[in-house]
Amino acid sequence: MAEVMKLPFWRVNVLTGLKGARVIEDPRECASLIRRAKRPLFVAGPRAIDHYFDNGKTSLEYVLEIARLVNMPTCATAHVKKRMLELGIKPDSVYDIIEIINHLKDPDWQGVRKEGNHDLIVFSGIRCELAELGLSTLKHFAPHLKTMALCRYSHPNADYAQPILSDEKWKGYFEELVTNLQQ
Amino acid sequence: MVVTLERDDVSELIRSEDMWEPIGPTPMPEIPDLRNWSMRLLKTYKPFYAPFCDLCCLCTYGKCDLTAGRKGACGIDIASQQARVVLIACCMGLSAHGAHARHLIDYLIEKLGEDYKIDLGMQVNVEAPIARTVMGLKPETLGDLRKVVEYVERGLIHLVSSTHTGQEGSDLDFEVKNLHAGMLDLLVMEAADIAQIVGFGYPTSIADTPLVDIGWGSIDRTKAMVLCIGHNAASANAVIDYLRANDLEDEVEVCGICCTAHDVTRYSDKAKVIGPLSRQLFFLRCGIADVIVTDEQCVLTNVPEEARKTGAALIAASDKICYGLEDATERETDEIVQEMVDDGKQFVIFDPEKAGEVAARVAIEIAPRRKKGFIDEAEAQELAKGCEKCKAYMCSQVCPNLLPIQQGMQQAAEGSFDRLRSLFDQCFTCGKCEQECPRHLPIAKIMQSVATKETFKLRSGRGPVHDVEIRKVGSPIVLGTIPGIIAFVGCSNYPDIEDVAEMAEEFAKRKYIVCLSGCAAMVAAMKKDEEGKTIYEKYPPDFDAGCILNVGSCVANSHIAGAAIKVANIFATLPGRANYEVIADYILNRVGACGVAWGAYSQKAATIGTGFNRWGVPVVLGPHSSKYRRLYLSRKEEDDWTVMDGRTGQLVDTQEPTPEHLAYVIESKERAMVTIPKLCMRRNDTPQGRQIKLSHYISLYKRYMGTLPDDLHHVVRSTRDIPLVYKKEVLPYLKEMGWKEKPALSLPTLIGTYPSKVRLEAVIH
Repeated sequence: MAEVMKLPFWRVNVLTGLKGARVIEDPRECASLIRRAKRPLFVAGPRAIDHYFDNGKTSLEYVLEIARLVNMPTCATAHVKKRMLELGIKPDSVYDIIEIINHLKDPDWQGVRKEGNHDLIVFSGIRCELAELGLSTLKHFAPHLKTMALCRYSHPNADYAQPILSDEKWKGYFEELVTNLQQ
Repeated sequence: MVVTLERDDVSELIRSEDMWEPIGPTPMPEIPDLRNWSMRLLKTYKPFYAPFCDLCCLCTYGKCDLTAGRKGACGIDIASQQARVVLIACCMGLSAHGAHARHLIDYLIEKLGEDYKIDLGMQVNVEAPIARTVMGLKPETLGDLRKVVEYVERGLIHLVSSTHTGQEGSDLDFEVKNLHAGMLDLLVMEAADIAQIVGFGYPTSIADTPLVDIGWGSIDRTKAMVLCIGHNAASANAVIDYLRANDLEDEVEVCGICCTAHDVTRYSDKAKVIGPLSRQLFFLRCGIADVIVTDEQCVLTNVPEEARKTGAALIAASDKICYGLEDATERETDEIVQEMVDDGKQFVIFDPEKAGEVAARVAIEIAPRRKKGFIDEAEAQELAKGCEKCKAYMCSQVCPNLLPIQQGMQQAAEGSFDRLRSLFDQCFTCGKCEQECPRHLPIAKIMQSVATKETFKLRSGRGPVHDVEIRKVGSPIVLGTIPGIIAFVGCSNYPDIEDVAEMAEEFAKRKYIVCLSGCAAMVAAMKKDEEGKTIYEKYPPDFDAGCILNVGSCVANSHIAGAAIKVANIFATLPGRANYEVIADYILNRVGACGVAWGAYSQKAATIGTGFNRWGVPVVLGPHSSKYRRLYLSRKEEDDWTVMDGRTGQLVDTQEPTPEHLAYVIESKERAMVTIPKLCMRRNDTPQGRQIKLSHYISLYKRYMGTLPDDLHHVVRSTRDIPLVYKKEVLPYLKEMGWKEKPALSLPTLIGTYPSKVRLEAVIH
């Protein structure tokens, strides 16, 4: 699988504008961006429930670990909430993907912890076509925040995106990110 | 400057002297006439844009980049550009339905005369609720339906004009025009379906329409076969006429894909449905059709090439789709048949009768010499071995659903077809994977091997909902004791093809009224229970609680809007004539209806959905429909939910987000299952009705999300709303949320909250 994001993995919705994601190849830089955020939010979608790595973990488990390490609030979209509860974790907020994006584009929204709108939104597990459209909304209408896509197929409409990765390397990226956040 | 028809002209067109109802404030409205109503809707349900493209490339100033607050050379910003592109799409949809109606009505007037009476049978007296409410016209003849089309054509010109560079510059006003286009679309669809019901003699005034066969297994491959694709059944019906007239009905299979299939089965219950739009390329590739007849809308644009590949004959029967073929309309039939049979020539034939005869005769001639059949798994396995397991994964990269096609091929090459079977259920058959495959593997052909060859049962389209049905269900719908009307409509680009059948059955079991149309109605038939029954065999076909009905093809969607209008007009006895705002306001506040376009792909679907929105009906869309780039959303916690209490004349902050959104995209079936019942709640629900609606909302939420709904405190108005079975859980939750009783209203309405010619008294019934 091609692993350098020249284009998104999927060719049907290629970026057509002039503002595209910066690809974060190094998980250490990714960890640094997350750590620097003052009010980050992790938005987890249903693909995070379905995607199992060869070690038996879902990508949702990595997402929750990342959120826990930096005390980042979570937003469960679609039907992710139930799985999170089964894992013993109560999401900080439950919105469908369109709802949370609609809130985020309002600079005066107070965020899921009522401490002000978030400054970095990390997405993982949203269906690709929907995520890309949602990220487009934030790119155009939410200049007050930055977006990051931790998706193996990458996202040009995000501010920061992972490169396109094989399953094995995606798992490695998550693990290295977790290790860096632990330090 | 607004150029409108003179009042005298309007008066003549709608026969204002015929006082079947008093004429309301907006007969034959033009864009400005309902602008304030639309703006009021948009105040609560604000447009949400997800730009699909950052640029504008519509004129030679550009391309203009509209990112980061930039404006185009004409001054347009990204929001207005999105709204403008949606308007272009809505005008495309409107024109497709409008031209369809125009063709059918002109064709039927030519055959039957413009004074041919509209008679929809004993059960349907309010024959055209949309035409009555929008135009103020009670159509009595085919000639009257032509007036409807002419009115729509006039509106369409103004709408398209607004999309030109240097015209409209406000996203909100573009949205007003989108809503207007949607309204005209439902209107013209109603005219089209009424015309074909009366002109072709389709079933009307009966609910128990025939159960017809659907699926690849339903075809008798020993017979010649004519496959009709598209939405305008004039030519498909002409094939049936020819076969009937020549006693050949048992020799030729007439089958359809997409809405023509629905309409030809309304004409003959011997006709069969192959399946929805998303099965088009698969079926063309198997070569079982001897003759393909294309009419209009949603037809693959490379059918001539696909037909040549399999040796099928092709007739293009509509001026919308001519494929560059020779026009044989004026030529002798024998000559055309001979050239098609001997030389494999493809023709365009605009005369439906001639197209019908030629199709039947050519099919009979060429069928015996054609080798037809689906490939089996052994052949598929051999073909799949051609997959070179390349590292580019282009088959997946170009797939709209990002399906792991290579894995499916590799497993098929090893003789395991389970993966491929699940891919088939999620595939739209766009064919892009084959195009990009470095070996040009015949992926669609390989997938034929896993397509089910079963025969299913679909109830053929029944047309309008009966007045007597409305009288029966009007009260429970408005009080909320029938928890809602859920309409599964539109195209078939689903996340999974079984979703619609599962959702439809769940809500039927819960005693919602479930309506279906178009490709959604077809796929709902393509799932059997353990006893081998489809939902159409298991549930009654009435417009009533716990029933499942198929109204028909795309144009029959108008009857679902028509049913909501009839609740206001027949049950609540509100005068409908040219009284759009009053009726739409009633629907928004009282009729718990929700559209679900789970696989919508087309511009037509965008227009239909927007039309429902203007009537006050929310529409849920599947994940791919985010590409329509515009939704209508509220924010329940922040927005103002003040309405007028029609009886007291007081503004009341209801604090109640019902319905919460008008156009909404959902990512997963599970989430849809909890959102749909919520969108059926209305401010007018009685405590008993709200209890029932909340009972379904809570139980589905608990099933799919694991807890009580997080927004329960927004939709419980008083403790009397809480379902008894959940009271012990809900009361502590409400206390924790700091919930307080919400104000009660006797007659919630938006009338009086925005500038309108309509007086508040008009909503009192």
